[in-house]
Amino acid sequence: MTNSAPETLVKLREVSKEYMRDKIHVPVLSNTSLDIPKGEFVAVMGPSGSGKSTLLNLVAGIDRPTTGTIIVAGQVLNDLSESKLTRWRSHHLGFIFQLYNLMPVLTAFENVELPLLLTPLSKRQRAEHVRTALRIVGLSDRMDHYPRQLSGGQEQRVAIARALVNDPVLLLADEPTGNLDATAAQEILDLLQQLNEEFEKTIIMVTHDPRAARRAHRMLHLEKGTFVETELDALEAAG
Amino acid sequence: MVPIKYNIRSLRNRWVSSLMTILGTGLVVWASVLAFGLADGLDHTLAISGDPLDLIVMRKGATSETNSIISESTAREIDTLAGVATDAAGNKLYSSELVVVVNTPRRGEQAGSANLIVRGVPPVGKQVRTGFRIVEGRENKPGLREAITSRTMARRFVGAGLGEKLDIFDAPFEIVGIFEAGGSASESEVWTDLEVLAQATKREGVRSALQIRVNSPDDAATLMNRIENDEQFGLKAVTEPQYFLDQAQAGMAIKIVGRTIAIVLTIGAMFAVANTMYAAVASRAREIGTLRAVGFSRRTVLASFLLESLLLCLAGGAVGCLGALPLNGLSTGTANWATFSELTFSFRFGPAVLAQAVLLAVLMGVIGGLFPAIRATRMKIVDALREI
Repeated sequence: MTNSAPETLVKLREVSKEYMRDKIHVPVLSNTSLDIPKGEFVAVMGPSGSGKSTLLNLVAGIDRPTTGTIIVAGQVLNDLSESKLTRWRSHHLGFIFQLYNLMPVLTAFENVELPLLLTPLSKRQRAEHVRTALRIVGLSDRMDHYPRQLSGGQEQRVAIARALVNDPVLLLADEPTGNLDATAAQEILDLLQQLNEEFEKTIIMVTHDPRAARRAHRMLHLEKGTFVETELDALEAAG
Repeated sequence: MVPIKYNIRSLRNRWVSSLMTILGTGLVVWASVLAFGLADGLDHTLAISGDPLDLIVMRKGATSETNSIISESTAREIDTLAGVATDAAGNKLYSSELVVVVNTPRRGEQAGSANLIVRGVPPVGKQVRTGFRIVEGRENKPGLREAITSRTMARRFVGAGLGEKLDIFDAPFEIVGIFEAGGSASESEVWTDLEVLAQATKREGVRSALQIRVNSPDDAATLMNRIENDEQFGLKAVTEPQYFLDQAQAGMAIKIVGRTIAIVLTIGAMFAVANTMYAAVASRAREIGTLRAVGFSRRTVLASFLLESLLLCLAGGAVGCLGALPLNGLSTGTANWATFSELTFSFRFGPAVLAQAVLLAVLMGVIGGLFPAIRATRMKIVDALREI
């Protein structure tokens, strides 16, 4: 295990990622390096196919880089086997998806409880954690509802509670407001901001929405697999 | 572990395909239970037909009583040999019997006919049959054209019912009683008086076989040796269990056919289960990707989908077993290839048969669900998450 500086939570060193499509190499990320300090809220923007989601997947360890090193919370992900990576993910990461990805046959409570089933917590302890997470996202009164009985915004809140319940150091959000109306989107962004400020969660959020990106401390712009760091104000000026 | 309620509710969610698979596997289990129960029933009939202290004496070379001939004088000589047991009154438990085969129409339209064994028995004959008792009517009287048979035979053959007249070599015999013999092969026969049958069939002075009760296995061995080694007799003696074991070929055929059908059906059901589970895996790709992203291992996902497949098949197994239970004890018949006559027996769904059925259901679930479950674990998380 390699220990990185404590203030840097996510470290990418010369990371490249290529896919093979019909025997053709398609470069998605090119020789990219990046440092994200603990407690930072980072927005990643860029056109479709620029490598935003790939970046997120690499940091989450659900995809492997072609070359380069990825270190998250002091752990070199390249070194981990598939099964160790899976276990590592369950302890250190929270995932928030554009389409919420809740299990339709489980209630809000049961969905949030899922990651806790991988821990040695007792049933009572799990229930406490789930209630706390649902209270933070403001859904204490919807615990027994199934996803189909919830609005889009509420579903995403449940998904955030699920991402949160293990108390991970890093939250990864892939277009978390992409499927929501303006009001619900604002509420979700408020919630993410609260998690960052009050609970000191480091957040990497991929988004197309400049208003969403404004909530972040820093915005990274990806163009053809390469980072272009942009000031938010400049982005706003550009409209 | 992925919670089991996830699987149960997922099955309920797509209840139409679940129900069809349950009914499909249920039908296979039902047919298999029937096939196994049939073989088990036949085994049981032949197994309880034999008492190791009862000997059957036949002509050397005969494969069954129906093709054995012993002269009356030889039969009497056997009577005098040492080792034959006696009853309380001092009568020797030795029965010389005549067995003939009569082609008799079955009840029901277009049911055809089958060979029926008619046994001429002296009065002592009933004493050498363990478990023999009259359950309806009365015993046949010596010297009269009267006969008795079992309830199953009464139901299956024209003229074999209580009070009816059965044609034996064109002579009408009145059925005056119904007997039980512990579910043994005797219950596949019609019994009448030895002398009356000999007259009716013009076989006076001829016997087919001797039924002898002995006191101990040692006596059995001694007597069997004595009979077999006397060249003048030209006879062989076997214990009843050995005799029925030799007759079990009929059971073998049923067993082989039954098991082959059960195996073929089970393989077919495995494909049906695999089809259902492949559809389940395909439609839940994003859920699988999410579970993996959240931190559930490949092995856990594999176990979850195998469990789901198993639940489906166990439900089918339960349906199949419950559906078969009303047929427990229902009697039927088969040709006994040793005697070329009808042998009746009942379906028996004991614990062993039901355990085999459950095992089949488990096999269907595990093998049918294995490849879809492996596919679920092989999905790349990134690709699975993209599925809508």
